[in-house]
Amino acid sequence: MTSRRLAAPAAAVAVFAIVWPLAVWQLWQSKLPSGLHLGGLNEHAYFSAAEIHRAASFGTVSTWTGIGTLIATLLVLAAYARRGARFVRESAAGRIGTGMLLGMLGLGLTWFAQIPFGVVQLWWLRRHHLADVGYFEYVVTNWLSLGGEFLFVSAALLIVMALARPLGDHWWIAGAPVFVGLALLFAFVQPWLIPNTHRLADPTLAAAARTLERREGVAPTPIDVQNVSAVTSAPNAEATGMGPSRRVILWDTLLDGRFTDREIKVVMAHELGHLKRHHLWKQVGWYALFAIPGAFLIALATRRRGGMKRPEAVPVGLFVFILLSTLAIPVQNVITRHIEAEADWMALTYDRDPAAQKALMKEFTRTALSEPNPDVVDYVLFENHPTVMQRIAEVEAWQRLHRRR
Amino acid sequence: MLSLGSLEPPREHPVRLLLTEDLRRSRLTTFFRLLLAIPHIVWLTLWTIAAIFAGIATWFVTLAAGTPPAALHRFLSAYVRYSAHVNAYLFLVVNPFPGFVGEPGYDLDIELPPRAPQNRGVTGFRIFLAVPAWLVNSALGYVVLVAAILMWFVGIILGRAPEGMRRLAAYTIRYGAQFNAYVYLVTDAYPHASPLEGRAALPESVPGL
Repeated sequence: MTSRRLAAPAAAVAVFAIVWPLAVWQLWQSKLPSGLHLGGLNEHAYFSAAEIHRAASFGTVSTWTGIGTLIATLLVLAAYARRGARFVRESAAGRIGTGMLLGMLGLGLTWFAQIPFGVVQLWWLRRHHLADVGYFEYVVTNWLSLGGEFLFVSAALLIVMALARPLGDHWWIAGAPVFVGLALLFAFVQPWLIPNTHRLADPTLAAAARTLERREGVAPTPIDVQNVSAVTSAPNAEATGMGPSRRVILWDTLLDGRFTDREIKVVMAHELGHLKRHHLWKQVGWYALFAIPGAFLIALATRRRGGMKRPEAVPVGLFVFILLSTLAIPVQNVITRHIEAEADWMALTYDRDPAAQKALMKEFTRTALSEPNPDVVDYVLFENHPTVMQRIAEVEAWQRLHRRR
Repeated sequence: MLSLGSLEPPREHPVRLLLTEDLRRSRLTTFFRLLLAIPHIVWLTLWTIAAIFAGIATWFVTLAAGTPPAALHRFLSAYVRYSAHVNAYLFLVVNPFPGFVGEPGYDLDIELPPRAPQNRGVTGFRIFLAVPAWLVNSALGYVVLVAAILMWFVGIILGRAPEGMRRLAAYTIRYGAQFNAYVYLVTDAYPHASPLEGRAALPESVPGL
């Protein structure tokens, strides 16, 4: 009887142990040449001592505020996991409504813990002319943006707690696929949620984008510009959306004259490379791989509080979720760095302008103060793109490969 | 000089306010009150869309049969009650997080009349007759907003709500509930703007709400 009862979980574990690594292997596949080595370049050969010092000095404070934010968040949520159940008395709602309240209050407390670090980071950005937001505006905007997080956590708890009633501690079996479905839905609608965008007006760049699309074999893709220069001077771009919603978004800080048309073409080729290689789909795939065991661990951790069907378990569930997310940061960064390196390779392959690509990477250090070679802690915890030196090394590797051919 | 004691009390309205005396406020939930109300605001918005269609259906049936259908009356009564609960929470009249189904028993509750025959003339012209009440309700919306902002600061600093301000805000919510009950055909009794609850006779001192 006991062996029969254990058979189903054992079979599930066996299937998981086979499918999970296979899925990882499949998602890791890329167009990057095997044996590509991105280390070993000396930043002093590419940047002046002053540039390196300025970026390093900027990076140090950013790293410490980032670490401070992570630690403060975990400490506050650990305390909330112990004592948060008492907030049940602040609710006249039922089981799920009370769970929502506790989830929102947990996020509210993390806001209090994070805001001092955010203010210090803003001060540091302003000092380096990378942000143009006032402190009061920052705090108020930050407070209001919590509304979106509150709504998200409420919706997540509605799903989890509704499933936990009939399924008990097995809610995660149904819950994880639901969250993956929601991640897909969010990836699809996200482009329409990005504010202050308009279509790229520059005819030269628009024509260059069409050429790159043809070369990369990407379906015609809208190139939009997002107005962010009122709040930051940092340059950025992204590929977003799926199917009919997909598009490339360039921040207007890329188009303010600091970057040449050739450099902007590299950016567009990089973003189109994301679309060509279906990186958004892959990211949802990676999310699924982590969501399933993550949901299982949350179900396991909340058992002592009666499971996720009880509102008293929500503070523990929230803490475990944030703890697992924090522990996953280094792994997530490895994945995103791999994806970004592949998009860089696609840009090199289809734009064929290594000089512009190298110049662009150097410009990131000058304009966004990206450290050419950040320290290990920064690299592991906060670098979700290859470092500037790694990206330059990739350009040089591409050049060597094509010189040989 | 006019004193409140000389005012004629309004007739007892079938939509009545029930309010607990709990002035205690959680500083944490007060600080985040606007944001904590967001799930309710989203749900109320969805419910309002359904209520509009239910209200239209009820109008036709009440015009023809003289009495609103039981199921729709129940649905719209719950909507009116829930709307009052959400407003009471959002505008800091009460402390606990409300439920999502408009069940009776909340710290600020609305007593609604049972299903009863309604005047067909009043029903036929309901939407036009409601315009003056709508103007009053809109004006009271600004009043409750100002009261809530003041109560927010007081709640965070003192951990309690100022009683007078709370009663003022509760009055605006009562009027809003009476207005909703009238528009959504829960009752054909017109909202009354008096801050007094309807009573058979005035007590010696007028306590307001």
